[in-house]
Parts: sequence; structure tokens; C-alpha cells
Amino acid sequence: MTFIIIFLMKILYQTRKKRFFLSMKSVKKHSPLSRLVNSSLAFLLLFSLSLSAQQADVANGEKLFKANCAACHKLDKKLVGPALKGITDKREQDWLIAWIKDSPGMIKSGDKLAIQVFEENNKLPMTANPHLSDQDIVDILEYTKGEEAAPKAAPVAQEVDPGVERGKQIFKTNCAACHKMEGKLIGPELFKITDKREPEWLKAWIKDNNALVASGDKLAKEVQDSNPAAMTPFPQLSDQDLDDLLKYFAVGDLKEVALVTADASSEKIFNKPGFGVIPTLGVTILVFLLLSLIVAATTNKKLEEGEESTESMLKSMIFNPFLRFLTIMFLLLGGAWFFFGWLMQIDVNEGYQPIQPIAFSHAIHAGDNKIDCQYCHSSAKHSKTSGIPTANVCMNCHKSISEYNGPLFGDYSKEDLDNEIQKIYDAVGWDKENMQYIEGYEQKPIEWVRIHNLADFAYYNHAQHVTVAGVDCQKCHGPVEEMHEMHQFSPLTMGWCIDCHRDTEVDLTENGYYKNIHDQLAKKYGVEKVTAAQMGGLECGKCHY
Amino acid sequence: MKNILKITIALAFLFSLSSCWGDKSKPNYQYMPDMYKSVGYETYTENPNFSNGMTTQLPVEGTIARGDVPYEYENTNEGYEAAKIDLKNPLELTEANLDNGKKMYDIYCMSCHGKSGAGDGVLVQREKFLGIPNYKDREITEGSIYHVIMHGRNLMGSHSSQLTTKERWQVTMYVQQLRTELLK
Repeated sequence: MTFIIIFLMKILYQTRKKRFFLSMKSVKKHSPLSRLVNSSLAFLLLFSLSLSAQQADVANGEKLFKANCAACHKLDKKLVGPALKGITDKREQDWLIAWIKDSPGMIKSGDKLAIQVFEENNKLPMTANPHLSDQDIVDILEYTKGEEAAPKAAPVAQEVDPGVERGKQIFKTNCAACHKMEGKLIGPELFKITDKREPEWLKAWIKDNNALVASGDKLAKEVQDSNPAAMTPFPQLSDQDLDDLLKYFAVGDLKEVALVTADASSEKIFNKPGFGVIPTLGVTILVFLLLSLIVAATTNKKLEEGEESTESMLKSMIFNPFLRFLTIMFLLLGGAWFFFGWLMQIDVNEGYQPIQPIAFSHAIHAGDNKIDCQYCHSSAKHSKTSGIPTANVCMNCHKSISEYNGPLFGDYSKEDLDNEIQKIYDAVGWDKENMQYIEGYEQKPIEWVRIHNLADFAYYNHAQHVTVAGVDCQKCHGPVEEMHEMHQFSPLTMGWCIDCHRDTEVDLTENGYYKNIHDQLAKKYGVEKVTAAQMGGLECGKCHY
Repeated sequence: MKNILKITIALAFLFSLSSCWGDKSKPNYQYMPDMYKSVGYETYTENPNFSNGMTTQLPVEGTIARGDVPYEYENTNEGYEAAKIDLKNPLELTEANLDNGKKMYDIYCMSCHGKSGAGDGVLVQREKFLGIPNYKDREITEGSIYHVIMHGRNLMGSHSSQLTTKERWQVTMYVQQLRTELLK
């Protein structure tokens, strides 16, 4: 399966590359010399929009759009000017060309539609673009028709410029702690920030925003005041670094997004449930029953043939008083043994696996991400109980991690798991869009179900085992870092406690405080190493008082 | 023949008894629950006596826990700058303090900041968190380190609920040691 998918992806990738070369060629065509030829062909092109030709238009259009329009316009959202997606459906092409070339002139000349548009947009004048040719404007309009070509075009630009890749690395190591490409984190989102601010200003700001503010830059002051968190200066970044960084901001990583979705879909194929355990078991039982039926049928026939002799033997066996006595004794003893076994398992909760309010996976947190047990269960080192973390501990990481991107497990889809994270936000009142706590939110406790619960007449202390004895959590709780859903691993019976106390040797080397006592005990028992039991780990009063 | 039937019935009955805790999502039977469950409220139980229904309560406002010293610097940029200059570590630089600092660092900081403080912890390598700074790239003092552990800064949250005052200072001490080693 994997091979097939890798193969398919390879083919896809190669075809994409081919397309990229095609589009590059056609971009080159737009040199001033060939423009004449092109514009004469424009008519033909408009009528017979072949796929590759359309893409060429769009690629050039996108470039021009970014260079000339994007400071004030977005495709799908109002910025300074209106959103431009689908503008060709609303207005005549000739009108649009005239408007883009010289909108102030059109308003002056008294064009009714032009005046109406001017007034609709708060009387903000649009810059005239006399340098754009008709063909350029047609390209731009082609680009505004739809975004379908845009993601294809973006990776093309990415492959062209190795600086983008470098910029991404710089972003990851320096900026990503506070910024995301899309969506607010501590700081604002940075994707297409280059459209909003001048590159020179951005560079100065990143290098040392405090100096920029001090120099009396109004915009800098505004930005700093609008965000309560101060941005760290990055004097260590060179001009080349900053150039690459800005390139990355402009392009983004659409390519990666495409790859991730491909990954997720292949993951789904592999995660499809196969032939489950229960149907297999059912089939096995059925086969077994059938076989035993066949065996029974054949043996019955044999019995019928030699009926008389076997029946008399059976009768004599059944009515033999000694044999009867033996059977009854056997039954009674067996019954007592089973009954005792049943009594012994009362309140032994080995394997107890309640349904928790949040599908928290220890396998992901402690296993994959290697977060120490005590990071969350921090009171284990000082207290009797190893506490359930309060939600602020969850939020230490989940402020920024609001969706699950790892491999799926159980029956959960990505949406389900994102929802599980949302449950923390619902409990504490976190607004993940604006990255802040909702004021005046009534917080709700997360009602976890306790799994490990000793009877009240037994005393157990976590600090004594974790901090003093240095016992690993896994010794009692099992391989928690492999459990997606937590369950009780150990029986937690008294016999189980005592077994461990008998076997565990006390570490005498790194415990100076108790050295004298350890020495005395070792002498008393005539051994070199002392076990927990020899230190009084079996005394009743240690745990029952 | 009757006996055999009886035996099987008895065995089946006993077998069903011994395995009657079938639903593992519910706790098993208890002999006498009133001996297992305390009359008093336990740490995380519900509690009808409080308005929010929980046994665990926040300290009463305006009170100070025994042995606790209140932290006076506010969680603002000004507070950070003030702590950076004025706040000093009350602990002596000893082997024991550094040892425990390392222990605590390995539990509470290493996942992001990395073993050596270079900002390359497991969570960074797995791209869960990005842009964790190298200690050597930042002008940090013992005061500012403590302040950040106490209140958090930007995306880093407060770790004051997981570490005691003494442990926070020990971690601070260890972070400073890591930083001097990185600066070498």
C-alpha cells in the first residue's frame, strides 16, 4: 500500500514540476519584445482558454496583483479597497480596464458608475496605474476570477527561491514562539504582512523595535501600543536573513499544507479497521461448535452399536457409593476454591478503565512528546496525592496547540480530537481566536474520574515513594506512556504492596541522612543490603492506623 | 446423566460468579463501602458546602500561606524590567541547590528549552513549539528568570503552581549555570 501511494505521489510531483516549467516559459514570454505578439494573441486566448494558457495568465496576473493591488485589496476580504474575487462578474471588462488605468480621471469625467464606486468606498481615492498594459490588466482580472490556480502558483514561487526555505527556518527558530503564519498567537499573524507594511520598516522593526519607537516612528508606536506584549529585538539577524524572512512571509508554506493533507488521507487508509477481534472470535467459536457437533454425532452412533455393555458400566459407576462420595467431595472443594477466588477479587480493580470527560492520551503526552510525568502531576514530589493537574497546566502548552496534528488513534477523527482540546478551553474560558481569556467567564471544573483509589483504611504517600525512594511511576502504574486510555495496571492489593517491600533494596549510597540507621539495620540482619521490609515496611501500623 | 448436568450448571454458575466484574468502565464490588469511603471529603471530590461545588478551594483572598513570601513584582512589562534589575536570589550557590535545580529543570523546562538550554527540546524537535530562544541569545538575569518562571512571558505560561519558591530559585540558579556554559 505504502509503495503505491509513494509512487502515485511521485508521479503527481513530477507532473507538477512539468507544469512549473511550462508556466516559467510562458512567464518569460512576457518580456517587452514578445508582448506585442502576446497582445495580438490575447483575443484568441480569451476565446480558446486552454488549461496551460490560462495558468500562464493567472501566474502573471498574480505577480502583478501582488505588486500593484495587494497593498489595498485582498481577493476574499475587504481591506482598504473592496474584495476583488468575482469582480469580473459584477463589472464590464472594458470599464474595469479604464478604471484601473486611471480612476481619478474617470471620476472627473463624470462616469456615473465610477462616482458611485468612489462614494461606496468612503471616498478613498484609488491610485491610478497608467503603467499597466491592457494585457496586464486582463491577466490580473483572470487572477481575480478564482483562487484555484493560486495554490498551484504559490509552490512554484517557493521552488524558485531558496531564500523562502531559509526564511522559514529563521521564522521557526526566532519568531514562531510568538507568531503564527495564520492566526494570532502572542503577536499578530505574519502571512502576507509584507502587503501591509513597507519592507524597510519591517526590517527596522524586527531588528530593534524599541529603537524604532524611540526614533519617533509613529507607526511603530501605534503597533507597540496596540499589543500589550513587548516584542523581543533580534539584532543578531543579518540583512540577508531579514530579506529571506520577508520572502517567506509573502509566500507562506502552502506546499506543506498540501503535503500534510496528503499524509492525513494516506493515514486514513491505513487506519481503516480490519477484521476486528470480536468477529474473529465469533467465527472461531462457531467452528468449534460445529466440530464438536460432528464429533458428538459420530460417537453417539458408536454408542448405539455397543449399547448394552456401556450402559451397564455407566450404571454401575453412577451407583457406586464410594465414587459418588468422591465426586461430591470434589465438587464441594472445587466450589469452595472458586468461591474463595471470587471473594478475593472483590474490590480489586485491576484493569479498571472508566470513560474520562476528555479523551486525554498519555501515549501522546508522556510517550511521543516525552513530557515528564511530574510536569503535570507535580504534587507527587511533595504530597500524599499525586495531583490531577489544574487546567492552567494544560494551558501552558495548549494556549498555542489548539489542534491535533499527529497520527490518529482509536476511533477518533482529527475533528474529534480538536474538539477534545476545545473542552479545556470551554472549562477555563479561553478564546482561541483572539488568544485571550474571556473576561467574566464562569469556569467549570473538568470532572475526571479517579482510577487508582485505595480503601480509606490504608495510607499511601506518593512523596515517600517518588522523592525519598525514587521509585519510577511506571513501577506501579505500568507503561502509562503507551496507554492512550488510562487504566489501572496493578491490583493495588496488600499482598502486592508487601511483595514489593520484601524485594526492594534500599539505596544506601545516596542517602546520607539515614546512613547510621542503615548501617545499624544491616548489622542487625547480617546482610549488606537492607530491603524496605527490613526497615519496617511490613509493620501494620505503617499503613493502617 | 443428571449428575453431569448438575455439575455443569454448578461450574457455569461459579464461573459466572468469579468473572462477574464484566464492565471494566465501572469499579468492582466492595465488601462494605462505608469502610472504604471516608466520611470526610477527599481532595478532589464534589462538595455541596461550597458554592462552586468543589472540595479544593483557592486560598482566601488577602491571606498568605504559612511560610510563603508574597511575590511583589507585577505581571507586566514594567514588572519584568523591575525584577530584572532588583530581584536577587536569596539562596546560596551550593551543590545541593544546583542538583535539585537540575532535577526540576529536567522535569519542568527541558521539554522545550532542551537539555543544555539551547532551545532544542523534544517539543521543539517535534515542531509542537517553535522559536524557543537559546539562553545565550537573551539578556537574562536571575531576577528576570525567576520572574518568568513565576508569571510566564508571552507564550510561556506560569510555572508557579508546579514549583515551590525554593525550587524556582534553584531552577534559576541552574539556568544561569547553563547560560554561562552556553556563552563559553
